[in-house]
Amino acid sequence: MSHAAVGAPGTPRRYLHSLWLLSARDLKVRYSTSFLGYLWSVLDPLVMSAIYWFVFTQIFHRSAGEEPYIVFLISALLPWVWFNSSVSDFTKAFKKDSRLVRSTNIPRSIWVNRTVLSKGMEFLFSLPVLVLFAVFSPGTQVGWGILWFPVAVVLQVILLVGLGLLVAPLCALYTDLERTTGLILRALFYGTPIIYSVSNIPAPFETVMSFNPLAGIFTLYRMAFFPDQWHTNTVLIGAVMSVLIFALGVWVFRTLERPVLKEL
Amino acid sequence: MPAAIEVTDLGVQFRRNRRGRRSFKDLFAGASRRSRPGQFWALRNVSFTVQPGESIGVVGRNGQGKSTLLRLVAGVLLPDEGSVAVRGGVAPLIELTGGFVGDLTVRENVRLTAGLHGMPKAEITRRYEDMIAFAELEDFQDTPYKHLSNGMKVRLAFSVVSQLDEPILLVDEVLAVGDKAFREKCYARIDELLAEGRTLFFVSHNERDLRRFCKRGLYLDKGALMLDAGIDDVLDRYNADHG
Repeated sequence: MSHAAVGAPGTPRRYLHSLWLLSARDLKVRYSTSFLGYLWSVLDPLVMSAIYWFVFTQIFHRSAGEEPYIVFLISALLPWVWFNSSVSDFTKAFKKDSRLVRSTNIPRSIWVNRTVLSKGMEFLFSLPVLVLFAVFSPGTQVGWGILWFPVAVVLQVILLVGLGLLVAPLCALYTDLERTTGLILRALFYGTPIIYSVSNIPAPFETVMSFNPLAGIFTLYRMAFFPDQWHTNTVLIGAVMSVLIFALGVWVFRTLERPVLKEL
Repeated sequence: MPAAIEVTDLGVQFRRNRRGRRSFKDLFAGASRRSRPGQFWALRNVSFTVQPGESIGVVGRNGQGKSTLLRLVAGVLLPDEGSVAVRGGVAPLIELTGGFVGDLTVRENVRLTAGLHGMPKAEITRRYEDMIAFAELEDFQDTPYKHLSNGMKVRLAFSVVSQLDEPILLVDEVLAVGDKAFREKCYARIDELLAEGRTLFFVSHNERDLRRFCKRGLYLDKGALMLDAGIDDVLDRYNADHG
C-alpha cells in the first residue's frame, strides 16, 4: 500500500503500539471523565492507610510491623492496590471490550497486558505519596535497599501478567469465578504481609505463607526503608512462584483462547 | 501471485444450548478426544482460495455460517479444524458497531480504531477530516459514540474502516442500515476500493448488491460449502433451493 503502517500485524512493534493505545485510552477515561481524576489513584491507598494506622497505632497496641508504621503500611499498600485493581479488572477483561475483541484482530493477550500496564502507570503516579510520607515521618531512613524497588516492580509485572492470562479466560467462561476472585482477593489482603511483616508470622505458617508470591515481592518493596526485614527464603520462593504462575498462565491462555472467542 | 485468502478444510464447532455443561476436562482435552452431544458444526470441510483483487459474495440463509466464516477470515474466531491463511491485513466491517467504544467521543474512537489497525498517528491526523466528512458527522465530533443514532454509527464505522489501507475488506450486511443517499456513497467507495485492487468479501441478502460488486459467489448451507462459482450461478442455485 501507499504508506507504511506501524509494523506488520503480528510484529512486536504493532503489539506495543496497540498496547499503548489501549492503556492510554484507559488512563484518559479514568482521568478525564471523573471530577477528582488523579486523586482517585491516591485516595484509595491513602484512606486505607489512614484506617489501619488509626486502628493499629491508636486503638490496639500493635506488636507487628515496623516504625514508622505509616511508611511501613504505605510501602506495601500502594503495590497492593495495583495488584488488587488489576486482578479485579481481569475478571471482566474480555466482557468489557467484547465488541472490540469480536471485531478487531489484535493479539488477545493485549486485553490482559493493557490492564497491567494502565494500573501499573497509576501505581507509579501514586508513588509521590510514599515519598511524601517518607520525608515527613520522623525516623525514616532510606538506604541502598531502594535498588530492590525496580526488581519488585518487574516481579510484580510477571506475576500479574501470569495471573491475568489465567484469570481472564476462566472468568469469561465461568461467571461464578468473578465473585470467587473477589472473595479470594479479600482473604489475600490479610494473608499477605501488608499490615504486618514476614518476621511477625509464627513458625509453621511462615513457610506456608512464603508461597504467596506477594510476600516476597512486598519484602523487596520495603527494602528501601526496612533493610532488616530481609528474608532470603521468602524472596526466592516469591520469585520462583511468580515465574511458575506466569508459565501456567501462558499455557492456560493458549488452551482457552478458542472457547473464549466463541463465547463472546 | 500468492493467494489473498486460503481456507483449507475449515471447521468450527459451537455449543447448541447455553446450559450444555462444560467440564474442565473438556476444555483441556484435545479437539480429537471430544465428542459430545449438544455441539454442532457451524462450518465444516470448507475449502477455497481467493486471489488478490477478487470480489466474493457469500450467500446463504440465516444461520448457515456466513458471518462465522467472515469472523474466521477476520481472525477474531479460531477454527477447530483446518486453517485460514490471510495475506495482509483485514479491514472488517463486521457487526453494526464494529470496534467502537460507547463512552469515548467520535474523535477518540476514530483515532483508536484506526490506530489499532496500525495506522500511524500522522496519517490519522491527515485523513481525519476526510473520514468525518464522509460520515457527515462534522457537528458530532465530540459526542460520545453511544449517543449517535444507528445510522450515524454505521456511517462512521464504514467511513473509518474503508479508509484503512488493508488489502482485504470484509463487509457483513451493514449497508442495509444507512439511508439511500449514504448507501450510494458507500457503493461508490467500494467501487473505488475494488478499482484499486482490494479484495472484497461480502455478505448480503440483497441480490442487487451481490450482483453489482461480486464476480464470484460462495453458497453456504448447513455449514457446508455447497457451491463455489460465478455469482450469477450461485444466486440462481440459491433461489432454486429457497425460492
